[in-house]
Amino acid sequence: MSESYEYLFKFLVIGSAGAGKSSLLNNFIGNKFKEDRCHTIGVEFGSKIVNIGGKSTKLQIWDTAGQERFRSVTRSYYRGAAGALLVYDVTSRDSFNALVNWLRDARTLASPNIVILLVGNKKDLEESREVTFTEASQFAQDNELMFLETSAKTGENVEEAFLKCSKTILAKIETGELDPERIGSGIQYGTATSKRLTAPKKPPRTPSDCACHV
Amino acid sequence: MENRHAPPGVNSRSETAAQSAADLEVLREIEHVYFSPPAQFDAARYALEHAPTPPDCDAIHRMFTKLKRQQQVVSGKALHLISQQRDNCDREFAEIQNIREQLAQTLQTCREAREQLKTASNHLTISTFVILANVRKRQIIKSVLKSLELLRSLRSVEKDVADLLSKKEYFEAIDLILKSKKAAANNKEYTCIADLSTRLQDTLDMTEEKLDSVLASICHNFDEDVFKKLKKAYDLLGKTQAAMEQLHMHYSSAVNESAIEAVKPFLNEYTIELKFQEMCQSVPTNKAPMCLLNLCENLFRVMRSYYLLVNWHLKNEEIQPSSSVFDIEKNVSREYIKQKLKAGLIRIWHDVQAKVSIFLKSSGLEEFQFEKFIQMLGILRKLTQVAEIFCGDTSDLLQDFIKTQSVSYIKNYHRGRMEELKLFLENEGWEQCPVKATFNVLNLQEFKQFRKYLNPKSDIVKGPQSEATSSVPSQDDSVYISKYFTEKTSKTPFEIFRNANVTNDDIFGLEPESEGSDESDDEPDELRRDFVEDTDVQDFSNDIQSSPSKIKESVIVTNTTLSVLRNCGQYLQICRYLPQISLEVIMLMNQLFDYYFYAVHIFFTSDLDVASSTLYSTKLNLVLKRISNSINGGDDTKFECPSNPEHLDMISEANLHGLSERIVGVESVIFLAKQFELLQPYLESIVASHQQMILEHFRDNTLMVVEDLRMPVYMCSASKAVDARSALIAMSQVRWDVKNVAVEHSPYVDMIIRKIQVFALRLENVATRVTLNMRVVQSVWGMVSKFVVHLLVEGFSNATKCSNGGRGLMQLDYRQLFVKLEKISGLKPVPYQDYVDKYVKAYYLPRNELEIFVRDRTEYSNKHLLALVSCACENKRDRQALTAIIECRDAGS
Ligand SMILES: Nc1nc2c(ncn2[C@@H]2O[C@H](COP(=O)(O)OP(=O)(O)O)[C@@H](O)[C@H]2O)c(=O)[nH]1
Ligand SMILES: [Mg+2]
Repeated sequence: MSESYEYLFKFLVIGSAGAGKSSLLNNFIGNKFKEDRCHTIGVEFGSKIVNIGGKSTKLQIWDTAGQERFRSVTRSYYRGAAGALLVYDVTSRDSFNALVNWLRDARTLASPNIVILLVGNKKDLEESREVTFTEASQFAQDNELMFLETSAKTGENVEEAFLKCSKTILAKIETGELDPERIGSGIQYGTATSKRLTAPKKPPRTPSDCACHV
Repeated sequence: MENRHAPPGVNSRSETAAQSAADLEVLREIEHVYFSPPAQFDAARYALEHAPTPPDCDAIHRMFTKLKRQQQVVSGKALHLISQQRDNCDREFAEIQNIREQLAQTLQTCREAREQLKTASNHLTISTFVILANVRKRQIIKSVLKSLELLRSLRSVEKDVADLLSKKEYFEAIDLILKSKKAAANNKEYTCIADLSTRLQDTLDMTEEKLDSVLASICHNFDEDVFKKLKKAYDLLGKTQAAMEQLHMHYSSAVNESAIEAVKPFLNEYTIELKFQEMCQSVPTNKAPMCLLNLCENLFRVMRSYYLLVNWHLKNEEIQPSSSVFDIEKNVSREYIKQKLKAGLIRIWHDVQAKVSIFLKSSGLEEFQFEKFIQMLGILRKLTQVAEIFCGDTSDLLQDFIKTQSVSYIKNYHRGRMEELKLFLENEGWEQCPVKATFNVLNLQEFKQFRKYLNPKSDIVKGPQSEATSSVPSQDDSVYISKYFTEKTSKTPFEIFRNANVTNDDIFGLEPESEGSDESDDEPDELRRDFVEDTDVQDFSNDIQSSPSKIKESVIVTNTTLSVLRNCGQYLQICRYLPQISLEVIMLMNQLFDYYFYAVHIFFTSDLDVASSTLYSTKLNLVLKRISNSINGGDDTKFECPSNPEHLDMISEANLHGLSERIVGVESVIFLAKQFELLQPYLESIVASHQQMILEHFRDNTLMVVEDLRMPVYMCSASKAVDARSALIAMSQVRWDVKNVAVEHSPYVDMIIRKIQVFALRLENVATRVTLNMRVVQSVWGMVSKFVVHLLVEGFSNATKCSNGGRGLMQLDYRQLFVKLEKISGLKPVPYQDYVDKYVKAYYLPRNELEIFVRDRTEYSNKHLLALVSCACENKRDRQALTAIIECRDAGS
C-alpha cells in the first residue's frame, strides 16, 4: 500500500452501547449504514488518511464496545489516545447521563491531554429527541469539550467530527502544547516525515546469568 | 269602310245635278293660282292683294261670298272625290296586309331552312376535321407532359430518396436512384437535366454513406428488419460482401466507441486527445466499479448485436445447392461471409477483453474496498460467462487476469489485515473477552455461510458443491445469460449489479437457499446473536471466588483473537468467490494465525530468564523458526514484527509477572488453533486434492504444536516464583557430607514451600481475572515443578562433597517438597520429579551404570554430571575416566 502520511493520531470512540459509535466509524471509513448492526465485541478498528490543513494524517480509530462487561477489555485501548469522540444518542437520555462516567474513564485512562469531542448522534431522529442541543452544549462547555451533533445514517457532520478533533490536535502540536515525541501521546510521525520514529528494537535476549538451567 | 263626314253644306247626294253643274262652274272660275302647293302660295295674302278696289263692304262682301262659295265647292268636290276612292283604298290596304303576312311567313321559313342547313353543314363536315386536329394536338401535348413529368421527377429524386431513406426503404431508394440514372442517361437531350446524372451519382454516393451509417448503427443494436432491408439494398448494389467487410470494421470501432462512451461520464474532464488507457487511469477509484459495469454493459451490447448478426446469417443464409454458375458464385460469397462472421466472434471478444484489461490494469484494483473488489470480480465473472456463450471461449486471458489480479489484491488486502493485526496485538490488553463457554468460530456473523458445512455436532462435513463455485458457468447460468442474447430486450446480464441491495451471493449465483436453511436451523442463529456471555465480568469472577479451586471449563479469547477469526471469515468469503485461488487465500489466512502465535510468543517470553533447551519442543522450535523466516522473509511476505507492548505489567510480583496476561495470550492462541482445526475439513474441501497435504502439514506442524507454547511462557512466571539465587544460597549452606541420615528436611525446603504458597495465593488472584481450566493450572504448576526440580539439581550439584547421609538428606528434602507441592498445586503426581530423583539416585549407581548415565543423560549439564561423578566415585581413576567421557560428550555434541 502506497500510503504515506505525516502524522498518525490514535483515536477512540466511546460512549454507551447503541449510541452509534460503530455506525459513525463505519460511515467515516466509507462503509454502508446498516439498520441492524451487531453489538461491538471488545474493540474494532478502522483507519483512514485525511488531509488536515494540508497535512496528510492517518487516523487510527478504535471503536469500543459500550457494554459494561467489556470495560476491562476496552480499557487497554484508551492508553495513549490523542483524541476521542464521546458519543451519546440524542434520543436517549440514559446515554447522555452516562457521559460523566465515560468522560472520567477517558480522562484517567487516556493521555491527560486527550482532545475530546462530544458527539450527539442520531440527529436525524428529531421526532424522538430526548436531549436538546442547548443542554448538551452546556455540558460540553462545562467539561471543556467540543461539541457536534451528527447522524451516522445521513452522514451529516460525521466527517466534520473526526476532522474537527484532528484539527484541534494538530493545532496543539503546532503550538507545542502536545509533543508527538512524548511516549503515550497517541501521535506518531508517519512515513512521510523524515523524523520517523523507528520502533525500539527489541534488545537481543542475553542468556541469563542465572545459574538455573531448565 | 266607314262613312266619312260630309263636308259642311254638302249633306246629301240627292242634291241635284243642277247643283253639280253650278258647282262645276264655280270650279272653273277658281283662279288657277289657288291650286299651287301651299309652300309656294299663301292664299290669304293672295286674297288680300286681290281685294276689290275700293274696298267697300259690298265688294268685300261679294268677294267673300264668292270665295266662300268656291271653298264650299272645292271642299265638296274634294270630299266627293275622297268618298269616291275610299273603297278602293280599303281594298288595296287589305291586300297589302295580306301580303305582309305572307312575307313574314316566308321569312320565317327561310330562316329555319337556313338554320337547318347550317346545322347540317356543321355536322357533316367541319367537326370531323376538328376532331382529327385535336387528337393530334393532344398527342403532342401528352408527350411533352411526359417529358416534363420525367424531368420533374428526376429533379425531385434527391428529395424522394431522402424520404425513402427516412422511411427505411433502402432498397427502394437505391432502386429509384439507379432507375433515375438510367432515365437521365436516356434524356440527355434536355438541357435542364444535363447535369443531373452527376448529381444522381452524388446522391447514390450519399445514399451509400447513409446506408453505411445505418450499417454502423447495427453494431449497437441489431434489428433484424433493418438489417434485412440493408442487405437487400446492398444486394441490389452488388456490394454485399464489401458491406460485410465494412460491417466488421464498424464492429471494431463500435467496441472502441462504446468503451470510450462508457468511461467518459466518469471523467472530470474529457478531451478527444485522451487515449482510452489515459481515460481509464483518470477514473476516480470510487467510481471504478460503476465504470466497469458501464463498460461491460456497453461492450455486451455490441457483442449481443454481433451475436444476433451471426445467428441471423446462420438461419437465413443457407447455402443452396445449385449448379448454376451464378448460384455457385453466390454461395462462395455466402460461405466466405459466414467464415468471416465466425472468426469475428473471437476477434470481437478479444477486442472486448483488451478493453476490459486496459481498464482493469489502470483502475488500481488493489486499492479497492473488499466489497467493491468482490463486485468487480462478479462483473468480470459474468463477462467470462457471457464470452462462453458468445464464442465458446473459456476466456483464459481474462481468467488468468482475474486470477493474478485476485492474488495481488488478496496479497495487498492481506498486507492491510496484517498491519491491522499488528496494531491489534500491540494494543491488546490481553484481557479475557466475555464469551460463552460454548463459543466457537461458527457463532461469528462472518461464518454464517459456512455453518452448514461445519456443524461441529455432525461430523459430516459437506463441502460446498464444487460446481456452484467453479468458474465455469453452470447449465443454468448459460441459459440465464442466453436470455440476454435475444433481440427483443434492452437488458443486459449486468443489470443485477445496479441493484444496491444485491448481495455477493446473488452476484456469484451462490447458494440461493442460504438464508432459508439458516432459518430452519435456528440454534446457531441464536448463538450468533448472543454468543457473548450475558453475565457481567463481575458476576463470573464472584462465581470463581466462591469456589476458588473449582476449575471452570471456559473459553479464553482476546479481542484480537476475535478480530483474527473475523478476518478468517472474510478470507473464506473471498475463497467462495475466487475458488481458483483458495489455497493462496488459505495460506494467507494461516499467516494471520502464525503472526498471532508468533507475537504471543515474542511478547510473553521476552523475559524468560532461564535457558530453555527443554522448554521448547522440537516442533515448537521448528514452527517458530518457520514463522520467523516467513515474516522476515522475501519482500512481499515481509511483515514488521509487533513491538513488545509497554503497557502491560509484566514486572509486578503480585500479578505473578503478568501471568494472567500470559495465560490469556497463550490460551487464546490455543483456542485460535482449535478454531482453525475446526475449519480444517471445510478448507480441505475447497482446495484441490493434491493441495490438501499442505493443509494437513499446517495442522500437524503448527496447529497441533501451539500447546507447547505453554511451557516457555508459563515458565516466565513460574521461574520467578522462587528466587533462585537465595534458594541456592540456602542450599549451599546445607551440609551434605553428614554421617547420618537426618530426620528433619533442610530449611531451604520450607523457604521454597513458602514461596510456592505465596505463588498459589497469587494464582487464586489471577483466577479472578481469567478462567483457569485444568490444562492451564496443570501447566502452570508443571512449570513451577519443573523450575523447582532444576533448582534442586542445580543446588545439589553445587555440593562437591556428599556422603550417603547427604544423599539421603537430599531425598528427604525433595520428597518433602513434592508432598507439599502436590498438596498446594493439586497435581498428582507432581511432574518432573524424575529429573531430580534420577540425579540424586545416580549416586548409588555402580561404575558401569554410572558411565552409561553420564553418557546418555543429556538433560543434565556437564557441571551437574561432574559434580555427580566427583561425589559418587571414590576411586580417582574412575573419576578421571568419567570426567573424560563427560567432557568428550560436550565436544561430540
Ligand atoms: N436513525 C439513526 N440510527 C442510528 C444512527 N447511528 C446508529 N444508528 C442505529 O443505532 C443502532 C446502534 O448503532 P451502533 O453503531 O451499533 O452503536 P454502538 O453500540 O455505539 O456501536 C444501530 O441499529 C444503528 O443502525 C443514526 O445516526 N441515526
Ligand atoms: Mg459498536
